[in-house]
Amino acid sequence: MKLRGLVFLALAMAVLTEFAESAQDPGEEFELRQAPTHWLATDNKGAGAGPVTQEKLSASGNAKTSWLHYYGDYRGYRHSPIDDITPETVGNLEFAWGMAAGTVGPFETSPIVYDGIMYVTTSYNRLIAVDAGSGEVIWRYDYHNPEDLRICCGPNNRGVAIGGDLVVMGTLDAKLLAFNRLTGALVWETVITKYQRGFSVTGAPLIANGRVFIGLGGGEYGVRGFFDAYDLATGELLWRHYTIPTDGEDGVETWAGESYKIGGSPTWNTGTYDPETETIFWATGNPGPDWNGDNREGDNLYSDSLLAVDPKTGELKWYFQFTPHDIWDYDGNTQIILLDVEVNGEMIKAVGHADRNGYYYLINRVSGAYILAEPYVAEVNWATIDDAGRPVVRPGAIPTGTYSDRVCPGHAGGMNAAYTGAYSPITGLYYVNSIESCEIIEKGMAIFIEGSTYLGGSFQSVDAEAGTGYGNLVAIDAASGKVKWRHQEVNGLLSGVVSTQGGVLFTGTVDGRFLGLDAATGEVAWEKRVGSIVRGQPIVYEHEGASYVAIATGGSNGVEYFTGGFSSLPDNTYLFVFRLNKQ
Amino acid sequence: MKLRNLRWSVLLAGTAILAACQVSSIVSQRSPADPYKEDPTAVARGGAIFKSVCSGYCHQLTPTTGDALFLFDCTWKHGDTDQEIFQIITTGVPNTRMVGFADNLPEGYQDTWRIVAWLRHNSLCDDP
Repeated sequence: MKLRGLVFLALAMAVLTEFAESAQDPGEEFELRQAPTHWLATDNKGAGAGPVTQEKLSASGNAKTSWLHYYGDYRGYRHSPIDDITPETVGNLEFAWGMAAGTVGPFETSPIVYDGIMYVTTSYNRLIAVDAGSGEVIWRYDYHNPEDLRICCGPNNRGVAIGGDLVVMGTLDAKLLAFNRLTGALVWETVITKYQRGFSVTGAPLIANGRVFIGLGGGEYGVRGFFDAYDLATGELLWRHYTIPTDGEDGVETWAGESYKIGGSPTWNTGTYDPETETIFWATGNPGPDWNGDNREGDNLYSDSLLAVDPKTGELKWYFQFTPHDIWDYDGNTQIILLDVEVNGEMIKAVGHADRNGYYYLINRVSGAYILAEPYVAEVNWATIDDAGRPVVRPGAIPTGTYSDRVCPGHAGGMNAAYTGAYSPITGLYYVNSIESCEIIEKGMAIFIEGSTYLGGSFQSVDAEAGTGYGNLVAIDAASGKVKWRHQEVNGLLSGVVSTQGGVLFTGTVDGRFLGLDAATGEVAWEKRVGSIVRGQPIVYEHEGASYVAIATGGSNGVEYFTGGFSSLPDNTYLFVFRLNKQ
Repeated sequence: MKLRNLRWSVLLAGTAILAACQVSSIVSQRSPADPYKEDPTAVARGGAIFKSVCSGYCHQLTPTTGDALFLFDCTWKHGDTDQEIFQIITTGVPNTRMVGFADNLPEGYQDTWRIVAWLRHNSLCDDP
């Protein structure tokens, strides 16, 4: 054997011996390298705007270069003051940049924009800060959720809130996390409650006067709903407002037996702050179990209600209930808009609200008095509304034995709180997307197991199965409740809406198109195919003199039974940003 | 005993042993869900529980493309035997929306087996 062969043999034996020894040593373990989950900014990429003051939060509806709230402003309008996007110019929108979310599940976020930075949340609580002009990632945080989440309807997140130098995100395991807006450093983390009981946060927080307001899901798990206020600086709990009274409190008599203890009434959507009346408005969801009310006879206060609460103390000022003793899952969490309307020659401070039950309501926001209710869904047959605003339920809509007859709207709406509408002060119209798909309610057994779904039945999507379900973008005269026009789509619509001062609405469709419509007429003035279902909330902002429109797309989970549409589109979660080309 | 009778006796005894083995084999292959599958009341209760707890926001009764699987097409992701289906209902599937029910259904594991029986009863495939 030549020398080279001997050397090779010796080396091979040494390696094998070493390998055998290390393999036999039970004390040594491989340390798997963990994938990074938190990338901090290396330098300050902000434009120097300084902290987000309360002044800025209050004036946000007039700011072109930012989008500071889930609803754009405290009035809940989702209306941008940007006026150069008009029905005539909208065709000049061009793709500017995009970003993959990298997660599965509905991408429902409404981005926040401030100081040249956009904050985007994804499903499963990924939070990404990007340059609002270029899309360059500035910092990123991937939250690690536990493996036993209680999420009835998907791993959704609809956005952050911003205040001071913090951005705040709720998590699917019922926590609040606050990050430095420029660096991405985690500043505080607060456990809201024990998620294993059925709680989750999917909605965006609301920030006002140094307080963070947050609601939770859980209406399908037999929780006792609540929403909270936290100190923005520290994450400390300031107050908790339960949405179901307990022993000795007014309203507990509206629940038979001890059903109030597991009555649901969740708060999963974002509320609204009214500086004029110093009130937080928050809407509540369905009582539990969803489709069987036998064990909870009574009105079931304060489920499916509008609550007016003191932001300093959390005390209830007044309430208005949309759907007493709900057995249709008409989860009343949808958007709240603050309007001043003329009623019988008198200007009234009012709340506008398109409920999932198919009716648009106007409520006096000082007293809680009912003003009007008008159907905005094309077919509403479960009830009429009497002069006091109380539903008069059609007997066939109540299951006799097991089944109801065909009930409209179906359990998903109407409008659903998973997406937003927009109000334009220019047109006086409130634009909401609607699912037009009726169902048969199947009453089942009310089986409560802590942490498991507490539904009491299910539904048959009869219109969806027959292929007759569809969707409408509905323009509602916000003062009268009358429908001005409808834009019809093949499938129910699950995307939010934004309006511009220039008279354009943006929204997305289940069949993967992003639309720009004339706010006055509903005519489609521009559209782009984005390739996946759209469930995000569009926003409009200005950056370095140019106008941008952003929309999150993708995440088809549940589409068939929500909307009646079978989506053949491949699923992808992607943020599209368009820029107006000034020609 | 004549030789001819002895042959017949041996043949009969052998046949009896083989038959006993076959019966034993069949008995041992019986699923714990089988008694429930054979009881229409149990199947109906399994369906009632499934439709009350499982189908509303998760497992639909018609094919869907969502994350909650359609359970009637014989395509099983986490095991296709009665015992495996029982186990999934009992312990859940980590990192999905499927939370285990343990023995918390009103009549404990009996109700779990009733659900298994109902799923099999409503299977759309030829050999459920």
